[in-house]
Amino acid sequence: MLKKIAVVTAAVVLMFVFALSGCGTAIEGDRVDETARSGGKQQEQQEKSAEPVVLRLEGGDWGFPQPYTRYSRGPGNARVNYIFDKLIEKDEKGFIPWLAQSWEISEEGKKYIFNLVENAKWHDGEPFTAEDVVFTFSYLKKYPPVSPVEAFMDDTFLLEVKALSNYQVEFNFAAADPNLFENLSSVYILPQHIWSEVDRPDEFTAEEAVIGTGSYTLTDYNKEHGTYRYEAFRDFWGLEPAVDVLEFIPVSDPVLALEKGDIHCASIPVDALSRFENDPKYTIIQRPGFWGYRLRFNMEKVPVFKVKEVRQAFAYAIDRQDLVDKTARGAAVAGSLGVLPPDHRWFNPNLPKYERDIERAKILLKEAGLEGQNLQFELLVGEDTEVRIGEVIKEHLSDIGIEIKVVSTEMKTRDSRIAEGNYQLVLVGHGGWARDPNYLGERFTGGDRGDWSDGTPGYFNVQVEELAGRLRSEIDEAVRKEITMELQQVLAEDVPEISLYLTTGYDVFRNDIHDGWMHVFDHHMMEHNILSFLIR
Amino acid sequence: MDILRGKKRSSSIFRVVEYFLTFLVIISLNFALPRMMPGEPFLHYSGEVDELVAFYSKEQIQYYHEYYGLDRPLHEQYFSYLKDLAEGDLGFSYYYKENVRTIILRRLPWTMFLVISAMGLSIIAGIILGSYSAWHRGKWQDSVLYTALVVFSEIPAFLVGLALLIWLGAGLGLFPLAGAATHFANYDSIWDKIADMLHHAALPVLTLTLSRTGGIYLLVRNSLGTVLAKDYMLTARAKGLKELRIRYVYALRNALMPLCTRIAIQLGALIGGAILAENVFSYPGIGVLMRSAVVVRDYPLIQGIFLVLAVGVMVANMLADLAYKYIDPRTRPAVIGSREMEEF
Repeated sequence: MLKKIAVVTAAVVLMFVFALSGCGTAIEGDRVDETARSGGKQQEQQEKSAEPVVLRLEGGDWGFPQPYTRYSRGPGNARVNYIFDKLIEKDEKGFIPWLAQSWEISEEGKKYIFNLVENAKWHDGEPFTAEDVVFTFSYLKKYPPVSPVEAFMDDTFLLEVKALSNYQVEFNFAAADPNLFENLSSVYILPQHIWSEVDRPDEFTAEEAVIGTGSYTLTDYNKEHGTYRYEAFRDFWGLEPAVDVLEFIPVSDPVLALEKGDIHCASIPVDALSRFENDPKYTIIQRPGFWGYRLRFNMEKVPVFKVKEVRQAFAYAIDRQDLVDKTARGAAVAGSLGVLPPDHRWFNPNLPKYERDIERAKILLKEAGLEGQNLQFELLVGEDTEVRIGEVIKEHLSDIGIEIKVVSTEMKTRDSRIAEGNYQLVLVGHGGWARDPNYLGERFTGGDRGDWSDGTPGYFNVQVEELAGRLRSEIDEAVRKEITMELQQVLAEDVPEISLYLTTGYDVFRNDIHDGWMHVFDHHMMEHNILSFLIR
Repeated sequence: MDILRGKKRSSSIFRVVEYFLTFLVIISLNFALPRMMPGEPFLHYSGEVDELVAFYSKEQIQYYHEYYGLDRPLHEQYFSYLKDLAEGDLGFSYYYKENVRTIILRRLPWTMFLVISAMGLSIIAGIILGSYSAWHRGKWQDSVLYTALVVFSEIPAFLVGLALLIWLGAGLGLFPLAGAATHFANYDSIWDKIADMLHHAALPVLTLTLSRTGGIYLLVRNSLGTVLAKDYMLTARAKGLKELRIRYVYALRNALMPLCTRIAIQLGALIGGAILAENVFSYPGIGVLMRSAVVVRDYPLIQGIFLVLAVGVMVANMLADLAYKYIDPRTRPAVIGSREMEEF
């Protein structure tokens, strides 16, 4: 009996092994010297400068890396970014010319003429021209990519894109758009000669679907293993790639994988940092705080939240630094009541700090006429860390007599309830805090749009409406900065929501393999920026 | 004879109808349950720490609903799901942007490989250790084994996995830390590739085997204990049969009957365990996929995975039924005539 079981099992297992060993990969390219792969040899090869630099990073499947098939969650966008270029890029300070090398602005910001780079080639050798840009902008109106830019899909806003010559393209808008560069830096330019025939872009995973003008070409992608392999594109029009081969491989534990040399850069929890601190081959970098948690009030459902003093009392009672210490183990920066995070380029440092002050909070509740009243609210949170944050907030608020019931739901359920405005208080975490301050307007103005994902139900403030309105149309950067400073002042006084904290985790990288890591001005992940992989 | 044969035929037809109805209930539940979950497939707003999501406005969500037919009335969606299913089309994944059938087929073999290897190994280990314990009931060998295996079976699979990862993978460097194969490697021969895959599978298989052996061990130990006390064991001894024959033909065969049912029941739990092992070792498989399909509310993918799992469990039950009949002659129909037996 036992023997039979053993024989049958062995046969079935062998069958699977044979079947699995035949599993292929999507795209196969020429191999760079395979010996470059073993960690120990990397260093030697670095020294012999002729050898290729192979950089390995944490993988995972984030979709086939073209703009229509990458996944809507996670770093899929970065995987596309290595292959495709945009008209505008970003560096540490702001927007920089990319495929668009220079531009002229006229008609008060409604007309842009972009002069394009003239030596760019697609990975298949075809020349890149203005026609590709014109094609891309008409294609995305027809087929929205995974990360759509609404402004460019709106015919009443983007009136016309036309080629003036092979390397000059004109954009005509119905109105000036202060977010134009941010939007342009999100649109990947597609090759017309390949995509003009594609009518199901979300199913387009042929080899030519990953032909871009970018600095890297995709040579291998495996969906079930979550692996990607890129090689430097030798005919890249711009800066020279600093890494010859970029590989993404599955990782079980980033700390162990980095220590073992399986990967060369990883996000490391604070508790494990000491393992890398004293070794000269590792460099530790702290991320800017651009991913954060917000506590939001539903003023429509709970009218008492319309009273400014109540919201201020919340702000004085909740100790944000305590939250950072207890729930983020110190790897975060407390939020500002002016909402824009301290690492934002237009952060206003001269705002009321709202340090914890129980007495002040109690006085504010008294001023609101709520002294001695039974104040009970439901706080909707997600899972794991958010439950802990919710519990700490509950503890803080109980000191001023406010009773909080923490209700935990799974993430998607919580998101839907936010969109429906079905909550009293909600805790939510997301990225994008370093974007253009226009998002302040999205959060605190506009009334009911039938979708409360980003808005604040029941909130209205004339000053906020006026400043956010000006911010939406003003294109002079200096003036916009001034407005943003003032808007933060108003928000910090009015407290329409409480920015709790922004995570500032640590990345550790092997400096002997690659040392060019950088953060762009509005993003917290180094590996998502193409400039991290180019020699500047 | 004819009456008996008629009865048997009608019972077979009843069985087929029963399986068909079960299947219909399963696919209807598969369709209904994901849609009953709160949450909108195309609304991505919050993320896990440091995670980025592509946010869609109300209009864009509407666009995707139209594109994937989610704006149509539910009954229309249901019938078109049934129609597609009849044609073998499991739909197109909203999130993974690929045919559900392709996605599942690419990952299922990895999970099956883990699950079947672990199940085979745990059955073998469970039977060997369980019978060893039963023969040595009351002695120290039994107590040591019993304590050790009960403790192991109570430790969650992911903890066992982590311990193995840190000890055997990172500490001793005997096994790779993650994945199912060395990526981007060129193998000299298919045997090298197979050896590499087995090397990668070792820790996840060991994890699952360790967490499953305890249950089988206990079952065999108890079942064999009961059988050893039976009168026919005494008869066998009295007949002067050899000890090995008594142990393996008389005792063990009878003791293993409950194991068949147990294996079929365990299949579901084993797939649960596989999810954890896949997560710990970043091993490709259906487990991790199932989790993310639910998280992102990818209806076609949820439907597809649960369909495959449900069919898998149904088939396992049928096989257990058949195996039980094979091992235990008492469950076969009474011998009416030779033709009856042939039909069976």
